[in-house]
Amino acid sequence: MIEFKNVSKIYHSKKEMVVALSDISFEIKKTEFVSIIGKSGAGKTSLIKLLINEEKPTQGEIFFEQECVQKMNQKTLQNLRQRVGVVHQDYKLLLAKNVRENVEYVMQVIGASEKEISRDIPQILEMVNLGHRQENFPLELSGGEKQRLAIAKALCHQPEVIIADEPTGNLDVYNTFEIIDILKKIHQLGTTVILSTHNKGIVDNLKQRVIVLDQGKIIRDSEQAKFIL
Amino acid sequence: MFIFLKRILKFGWQNFSRNKGLGLGVIFVMTVAIFALTFFFVFNELSGFLINKAQEQVDISVYFKKDVAEKEILGLKEELNNKFSIQIKSINYISKQEAKEVFLAKHKDELLYLQVLEEIGENPFLSSLNIKAKDPVFYAPISDFLVSSFLKDSIEKVSYFASEKVINKLSEISLKIKRFGVYLGAFLIILVFLITFNTIRLTIFIFREEIATMRLVGASNWFIRGPFLIQSLLYGFFSILIVNLSFVIVLHIFSADLQTWLFDFNFLQFFKENFLKIFGYQILFALALGVTSFFFAVHKYLKI
Repeated sequence: MIEFKNVSKIYHSKKEMVVALSDISFEIKKTEFVSIIGKSGAGKTSLIKLLINEEKPTQGEIFFEQECVQKMNQKTLQNLRQRVGVVHQDYKLLLAKNVRENVEYVMQVIGASEKEISRDIPQILEMVNLGHRQENFPLELSGGEKQRLAIAKALCHQPEVIIADEPTGNLDVYNTFEIIDILKKIHQLGTTVILSTHNKGIVDNLKQRVIVLDQGKIIRDSEQAKFIL
Repeated sequence: MFIFLKRILKFGWQNFSRNKGLGLGVIFVMTVAIFALTFFFVFNELSGFLINKAQEQVDISVYFKKDVAEKEILGLKEELNNKFSIQIKSINYISKQEAKEVFLAKHKDELLYLQVLEEIGENPFLSSLNIKAKDPVFYAPISDFLVSSFLKDSIEKVSYFASEKVINKLSEISLKIKRFGVYLGAFLIILVFLITFNTIRLTIFIFREEIATMRLVGASNWFIRGPFLIQSLLYGFFSILIVNLSFVIVLHIFSADLQTWLFDFNFLQFFKENFLKIFGYQILFALALGVTSFFFAVHKYLKI
């Protein structure tokens, strides 16, 4: 379903050159649950940004269902983004819209009817425990609530692929496992899940495939559940 | 399609109503821009009116010697009408008798004039042609034609040659005022366009992260752009409303005074009579200014 072929990403600044990803190749099959683990700065977020074409690779190609993401026209790229739900590390919330409208917007983008929206939104917000905060704006939410809203946005339109970039970074232990449970349930329903995290405790519990990134390189790609960094 | 439009309208209204601080800034700048346009339009009309008013005061008279027959003068009038049909506004033939009657009517209360006229005995007035041109610049060629016409030897005098300098000066001033109006208008429009565009660019700059987020969830360009365009239309609408209300209020208060100062130019009447025209220009200007500024400002952030 997703394939990275010899992908490198180099950031150039005036003073230095930072290699975020170096000659990465791997494949993710449909309905797989893959954890990408690595220290901060290992290249996890860059990898996700390349996958949704938020950034372009310096070298190599990324394929989504055999189609090169970088060569997609605008319409196909929109379609790809609608089929993928992303929980961004920096949340990427719409600050001028309240909690309900943030989730609504994603459903409106895919063309959901008002009936579907009013049926699904309360359930999704209840699921991430934000039912009581529907009318609040993102700036009125705590870090954990923002993160849960980002998760609701990524899940609401039932995408084929969920990419979660450090989705538990701002959550307490209880909420962390709740979110992981949600991701597991979604995976069981046939959704492909890509989880990026630096928390090896989570990965240990998942017992799924793990890709380990270090300094922009894959140092291990294993289906072992137990992994010690 | 209907639901798409409905959502765009809803988001546009949300953007407008939820960003009051930003909105006030944009409305203020657009109000200044539309005010400048309206002022330019009114200034153009007013200067045209004043120039016309001044030009209406200018005419030339051709006085004929005493023995020239009326038939010959009317022949010359006909020839002038044919030759200068585009340049001439009107030609009036004034006979000796009419000239005397006009004089008597004008000075009926001034005994001295009447006594002098009585002492002279015969009618001392000359037949004349009074010519009004559409523009003062036409008086020179008309006068030149007169002094070289078939009646050149029967002409006593052409008043143009006595007031040539004044007429030329008036033409020059009219031209300068018209030019000044065009330069001032162009300058104002460029200035307000740049200021408004930059204000809107800054407004959109604040939304750049949101636009990127919308792109990343797969929103189409028009689904993102549409609400901003609606927002710009609302800003334009409120700016036009403010400008027109201000004009109406100010004109209601000062119209009478202005009329006295500006040679009977009735601002309020002018505004009422030309409201649709002014409103049309304002709408076109607001559309061009607001929509294009928003369009290009948003476009920059749609590349992700």
